[in-house]
Amino acid sequence: MPESAGGAGASVRTQVLVEEELAAGDAAVPFAMAGPKALGLALLELGSATQRDRILRTFVDDPTRVGAVAWSEPRPSAEPGFSTTARQDGDAWILDGEKAYVIDAGRASTYVVFAQIDRSAGWSGFGAFLVDAATAGLTVGARAVTLGLDAAHFGSLKLAGVRAERLETADVVRATLRFFARVSLTVAARAVGLARAAFDTTHAFTAERKAFGKPIGHFQAVAFNLVDRLVDVDSARGLVWRAAWTLDTHGDDDAAVLSHCSEAAAEALEAVQRCGADAVQLHGGAGFVRDYVVEKYMRDSKQLALCAPTVATNDALFAAISLGQPLDGALLPTPDIQPIFT
Amino acid sequence: MDFSLTKTQQQMAEALSNLGKYVIRPMSLEMDRTHVVPEAFMKQFVALAGSLRSDEVNAALGESVERPAPTRDKPTQANRTALVGAEWMAWADASLLLCLPGPGLGGPPIRATGTREQKKKWFGMLEEKNAAGELAWGAYGLTEPGAGSDVSGIRASCRKDGDSWVINGRKCYITNGARASWTVVFATVDPELGRGGHRAFVVEKGTPGFSVGKIEDKLGLRASETAELVFDDCRVPAENLLGGEDAYGSRSTGFQTAMKTFDATRPLVAAMALGIGRAAHEYARDFVKDRYVLSRPIARYHVLADRLARMHRKLEGARMLVWKAAYLADTGQPNAKEASMCKAAAAQAAVSACFEAIEICGAEGSIQGEHQLLEKWFRDIKVYDIFEGTGQIQRVVVSKRLFPDLRAF
Repeated sequence: MPESAGGAGASVRTQVLVEEELAAGDAAVPFAMAGPKALGLALLELGSATQRDRILRTFVDDPTRVGAVAWSEPRPSAEPGFSTTARQDGDAWILDGEKAYVIDAGRASTYVVFAQIDRSAGWSGFGAFLVDAATAGLTVGARAVTLGLDAAHFGSLKLAGVRAERLETADVVRATLRFFARVSLTVAARAVGLARAAFDTTHAFTAERKAFGKPIGHFQAVAFNLVDRLVDVDSARGLVWRAAWTLDTHGDDDAAVLSHCSEAAAEALEAVQRCGADAVQLHGGAGFVRDYVVEKYMRDSKQLALCAPTVATNDALFAAISLGQPLDGALLPTPDIQPIFT
Repeated sequence: MDFSLTKTQQQMAEALSNLGKYVIRPMSLEMDRTHVVPEAFMKQFVALAGSLRSDEVNAALGESVERPAPTRDKPTQANRTALVGAEWMAWADASLLLCLPGPGLGGPPIRATGTREQKKKWFGMLEEKNAAGELAWGAYGLTEPGAGSDVSGIRASCRKDGDSWVINGRKCYITNGARASWTVVFATVDPELGRGGHRAFVVEKGTPGFSVGKIEDKLGLRASETAELVFDDCRVPAENLLGGEDAYGSRSTGFQTAMKTFDATRPLVAAMALGIGRAAHEYARDFVKDRYVLSRPIARYHVLADRLARMHRKLEGARMLVWKAAYLADTGQPNAKEASMCKAAAAQAAVSACFEAIEICGAEGSIQGEHQLLEKWFRDIKVYDIFEGTGQIQRVVVSKRLFPDLRAF
């Protein structure tokens, strides 16, 4: 939260430390807490300074408020671009359509909703819009039952003639790519926390649990697996810290920000899934029953990997940058190919 | 942890990058075929390195001057600087790096266990020779035909006889072993004593009873000299015992010296692996990039791009571990676990980067040519998951840290 909006102005490096620690306790908590969350990240990249400070200040004044971002849609559109549309009506914009896989749909007081402005411009013809939860025409779907992150709230929105304010952005594709880089990094930091928790729990279990007269961790097949997972946690954390450092010190360098965030996310999201699955594996039967926490870790790790641009999307983004291809809408985590939670 | 390089490090990286691109790589294949690095080049390099010397670089090269050990309040950049140098030199040509004059792997054990006089004498000898335009190397003799990963199993023997020690046995796979002015040699007073019996000596070239056996023919790193050393009643003066007799007593100082050496060398070897892995990634990336304009953006192309991205982030993830190990050393903190973790991860990432890069380039990837060094890097990289402790041994080391009461598997 920037100081100009009344926040503490903490560095991204501080933020990733906090995210890791929260997620090490319970990965759903940072998603379930009150606060602007993804909406805050969207405003950092997509709004004017005035819009950003005006909206974020409401979250400082009332810490129980929740923000949300509606990106994905339930069905792929027939043509490139969002199915949800935005048309201008005087100073305001009118939104129509359906949004899905929205974290905190129904809990949020303010949303950022992505919608198509110019159908012919495909994935560069969209805009981002501020929608107050109380606006007429906005209805909320049922809370979804999901594989993991049970304490978080996943839902959907319907928009019928909803009046909205457009976020002022010079280059919406660039700003949206940067928004998703921040989302990716945030979720990557949580992935490191969850991966660490899964590792620590499993490490402790394998030191206690005995078979053939000694702790199972004293068998090479088990110990080597643990070492590989520790390498996963530590290298993912290193990449997360480096990306945070890049945002803090070279924040204007798009190529550095996007490539470092995408590498951190792809690595951390893969790492957490290996840590979750191996936690269950090394607990054996105990890992499969709900008396132990690791089955939740495994479910949460898969769910977490869907709450940011996927590993494939982040790898593709990195490849495009390193191959010198243009940063265009084709690199966005568009829901026509793979929907994600935001 | 800071993710930027110091100005000195940046300048060094830039200088080495140019040297690698315009001078070293063009000689790479010739050196690979003839197993020789031109002497003229090495003399020029020594002169160049001398002219670039700063405190930071000196500390990284491990010169004879005593320095206070770093602490968290008074950190150095010595390990980080050494990593940058190692990575860029390996990026240029890994076997040439191993041939450069200097203490090489013989440096860390002397730094860890040697007395002030020993450091002055052995480092000083190399500095004087190199300054006089005479190329001089140090070497490190630990591995034996019957003891590789299991260091405690060495059988080379040593016994005190008056004012000297008599060494018998064989050492193998010793880098620069034949040309070195001196070699740090590990031997045991009694194999039954295990680690407690180990002693480390500096053996000078030309010592009676010390001879060079076979020079190995290898898969990769072919310009680097890998020698067998033979000790037949080789008599060395008592002052060549590293740390002096009092340093040993009942403790396993000899074994600890070998292990401390690894704490310093494993991150360096990991950085070299990253240098080769990065070279392979860049080669494959440029190959794919050149073809993109000709191809339609078809699915096959995207699969290759995806593999490139994965290859790169595995290398970068390992790099974070390498930096962490160096950061711990530069702030005076223990780093044995991190040194092993980074060595395991970097070698694995770099080996698969070279494998992947060849596959990405298809048939072209296996062709040898002046500007086609990928097949050479593929041959060079494999040993990085073997020397300085195999990937499996690194995992054993980390396992023992995870389970302190684990004696052996």
